[in-house]
Amino acid sequence: MLNKLKALACMAAVALSSGVMAQEELKIGGIGSLSGGGTAWGIALQRGVQMAVDEVNAAGGLKVGDKTYKPRLVMFDDQYTAAGGRLAADRLINVEQTKFIIGPIGSPSVLGAVAVTSPASVLLLSNGFAPSILKNEAKSPYNFRAMNSTVEFGPAMVKWYRENFPTIKKVALIAPNDAVGQAVVPQLEQYYRDNGFEVWKELYDRGSKEFTPLITRMMAQGVDLLDLNSNAPGEAGLLLKQARQAGYKGKIWQVGGPSVDEIMGIAGPLAEGFISLNVFDFSMPESQKFVATYRAKYGDGVINAQAPGWYNAALNMFEAMRRAGSTDVTKVRDALQKLDGYDAGLFGPVKWGGMGDYGVDHQLLLRFWIVEVKDGKIITRAAISPEKR
Amino acid sequence: MFTLPILSQVLVNGLSLSAIYVLVALGFTLLFGIMRVVNFAHGAFAMLGGYALFYAYGSLKLPYPIAVLGSALTVASFGLIFEVLVYRWFYQKMFQSMIGLMGLNMAIVFTSVMIWDVNERSIPAAASGILTVGELTIPLDRLVIMGITIVVLIMFWFFVTKTRHGLAMRAASQDVEIAAAQGINTTVIYRLAFFVAIFMTALAGGLYAQTYALSPFVGERPLMVAFIVVILGGMGSIPGAALGGVLLGMGESFLSTFYGAAVSSFVSFGVVVTLLIFRPWGLLGKPE
Amino acid sequence: MANQNNVSSVAGHPTKVALLGYSPWAWLGAIAAMSLLLVWPLVFSNKFYITIGTMVVLSAIGATSLNLIIRTGHVSLAHAAFMGVAAYTCVLLQLRLGAPFWLAMVAGCLASGLLALILGPIVLRLTGKYFVLVTFLVGEIIRMIFVEWQSLTGGSNGIQNIPPGLDLMKTPTGFYYLALGAAVLCVGIVWRILSSEIGRAMDAVREAEKLAASGGVPVIQLKIMIFVIACTLVGVYGILQTYLVQYIDPSAFNMEASLNLVVMNVLGGMYYLLGPVLGSTFLSALPELLRGYVELQRVIFGVILIVVMAALPGGIIGALGALRRLYQQATSGKTT
Repeated sequence: MLNKLKALACMAAVALSSGVMAQEELKIGGIGSLSGGGTAWGIALQRGVQMAVDEVNAAGGLKVGDKTYKPRLVMFDDQYTAAGGRLAADRLINVEQTKFIIGPIGSPSVLGAVAVTSPASVLLLSNGFAPSILKNEAKSPYNFRAMNSTVEFGPAMVKWYRENFPTIKKVALIAPNDAVGQAVVPQLEQYYRDNGFEVWKELYDRGSKEFTPLITRMMAQGVDLLDLNSNAPGEAGLLLKQARQAGYKGKIWQVGGPSVDEIMGIAGPLAEGFISLNVFDFSMPESQKFVATYRAKYGDGVINAQAPGWYNAALNMFEAMRRAGSTDVTKVRDALQKLDGYDAGLFGPVKWGGMGDYGVDHQLLLRFWIVEVKDGKIITRAAISPEKR
Repeated sequence: MFTLPILSQVLVNGLSLSAIYVLVALGFTLLFGIMRVVNFAHGAFAMLGGYALFYAYGSLKLPYPIAVLGSALTVASFGLIFEVLVYRWFYQKMFQSMIGLMGLNMAIVFTSVMIWDVNERSIPAAASGILTVGELTIPLDRLVIMGITIVVLIMFWFFVTKTRHGLAMRAASQDVEIAAAQGINTTVIYRLAFFVAIFMTALAGGLYAQTYALSPFVGERPLMVAFIVVILGGMGSIPGAALGGVLLGMGESFLSTFYGAAVSSFVSFGVVVTLLIFRPWGLLGKPE
Repeated sequence: MANQNNVSSVAGHPTKVALLGYSPWAWLGAIAAMSLLLVWPLVFSNKFYITIGTMVVLSAIGATSLNLIIRTGHVSLAHAAFMGVAAYTCVLLQLRLGAPFWLAMVAGCLASGLLALILGPIVLRLTGKYFVLVTFLVGEIIRMIFVEWQSLTGGSNGIQNIPPGLDLMKTPTGFYYLALGAAVLCVGIVWRILSSEIGRAMDAVREAEKLAASGGVPVIQLKIMIFVIACTLVGVYGILQTYLVQYIDPSAFNMEASLNLVVMNVLGGMYYLLGPVLGSTFLSALPELLRGYVELQRVIFGVILIVVMAALPGGIIGALGALRRLYQQATSGKTT
């Protein structure tokens, strides 16, 4: 009897100690802008992923096959440039030995990073709008896009607008001539034309904040809808404010952003009637747990709406590792591709798409919302799921 | 496209732009005129003026005229530290001043990034509301800026032509050695000129930030504008700054409205480059 | 300062024998540096550190080429724009016309040199401050052309997935030695120019232009020639840098890039060849090594610029030289 007890005690001890010792660290790379203009998004990425990491660790670690890992985020700044993205990826892969990277944000940085991650067979979940990130000859074996780009939310939004505002005829697209603006405007132009709108477009030099002459020019075209599309939040707010101040009476909305809070801050009451995309609904019951956790850890500031998206991306990646039963990149990639239906809790079931646009189903199709500013408050008008194209 | 209502609106927009441009260029041209210093840190002081106004008007909620004057005076006083530490070494040395002040600009801007973050903030508007005259519209806050510009120009003209110190500054700008021989204390005069220049720059910066947005990098564009205006009008010439500001504002309004933003940028730059090559001292400046 | 005489003097005493005008210490330093550069990839076999080394070495090409222009008394804020002209030309010739890399590279450098030849006579007539302003604007105009001419350059999105131009480029180590070879070549060319008759003429032009002209120096032709050479050489930097990142976009050739090249020169010492080399090492390596203190670094660079321009025109090298002389004077006792 005593021997049995001793044996049991020994087994228990071994089981306990192996449970503790086998918590190997799993480094997850993160790349985002932590200095300069894009800092808000970089921090959103850092915090979103960190929250996912914390959640997994609080639940006892990441159980992959018969090992349990302790994920840890290693975050590097890319300064929102191509060279920065490349250096950050290089360092993560070659110095930190990570095989899984979340980020970067912004096409130049993503393209810089991809040049290093693809040859090294490293899994990359990023968010850059350029179609060529997913659409290329190699069919992006290890690249996935974690959030909607204009190709995903554009067509659905424009169609919704056409259905709800049948009298609008001519839309103005004013955008900066930077990488996003130059990529997005032709895409949107196509979607508008497909839905029976006439399009007028004008690109301005990034850095200018005086739009009154352009608005005068726009008004002379008989435009009845202004789409703020890829403008940064500050510029979007100024465009709206200056348009209203110039006496523009038509409609204003944004297929892009999200910048509703900033626009309301800049334009005040002039923002009445503004319709926009929102990538996250903070008022849903499902969101409250996320909001509470964020507030507890990071305080009371504005929560950038991209943070939940990155949290979601990280959780999806962890689930793919669990299902693969291994941290081998190719196996995780295969499991990630088959993740349709898994619900991490915030955006509904995973849905991959993009075959029609990119030749590969590596675009995460996230639910999004169309919101409107009414009587000084933001109200939700519709929740939309992008179609699988 | 070239109808009367649109042309009139273009004119009104142009005046509004010109006002800001003139204001932004004044401090820059003054520093060059008196001390032969190309103030590459011009944008940084404009930015500091913006933050000062943010606190004076946005946080402390002082009455607008007091906030504007007070914030500019604060920045100018604070700027005297830099006069003693930095600018003093560069008077009459154009080349060194350019690179050295570029360094000062970097130092001030990135210190600001560390103090306040990079995110854009807004300063509440001085006046919301739009003045509509027939088919023309002009926002009230732009009218306020136009008014301030005119007042500043008049006050400055008065200072430079009617007061003893102003005359001393003009003498020093024409020939510093003879002015010293006449008993003018050049150190004091330079300090005064510096104070006035930074005051005007901070004032312009505050208004600029209020009209558009405030961030540590908000000074980049005012610097570019100041350059262009001053090259057009003549470095060191106050009437030149006024003329240059009006030309740039009107030109931009006209070109952007009728031909688009890209054309406007290329033409402005092209004209300025051509002027620099053939008449570098500007329209109202003096050849050296 | 590189000793023009054949002696290193300490309070009038000819002490050590100098070789080719440089003291033995300088030779020792040069050999040590070259050895380190040669074995760098073997010591640091991690791909990341090799890439950093490549970037540092390449930026030395950029900084030394600008040094040529600075030695004639002109500071160009358009240098990065010329980099861009060469880089775009090379990439477009290779990708759109299928030209072999070497040919495309030579054509690229010739393109930036040609542009310098066209613009040079016009802008080099201007004196110091006006030249800076004009190059500031010209640089911006060129960058705007890169952005607006989307059909040719890909606009702000640029051109991605640029394939390696040479087999040597396919590995980090291979690219490193390619860059090192190019850097040695370019810095060597600059060195030869600066230590020759032309170099002396340049110094004369910089110090006292009218005097040099009356002494028979063809001032404007000299300036143009140097300008063209400098802009051709910076093309090498632009092209290799582009192939390293395998992506070209206008933001790599903006005012900030030009300013960085100027800072490298000023920091290290504008009037010594080693200056830009040292400056480029600092500016390229420091941000990587001191990750996370970006703003503080920039503040420190700014302060150093002020101090150098106000009091230490020789930059780091000048300061070191001044310290050395002070030390020698102190240790050699009271012999004066």
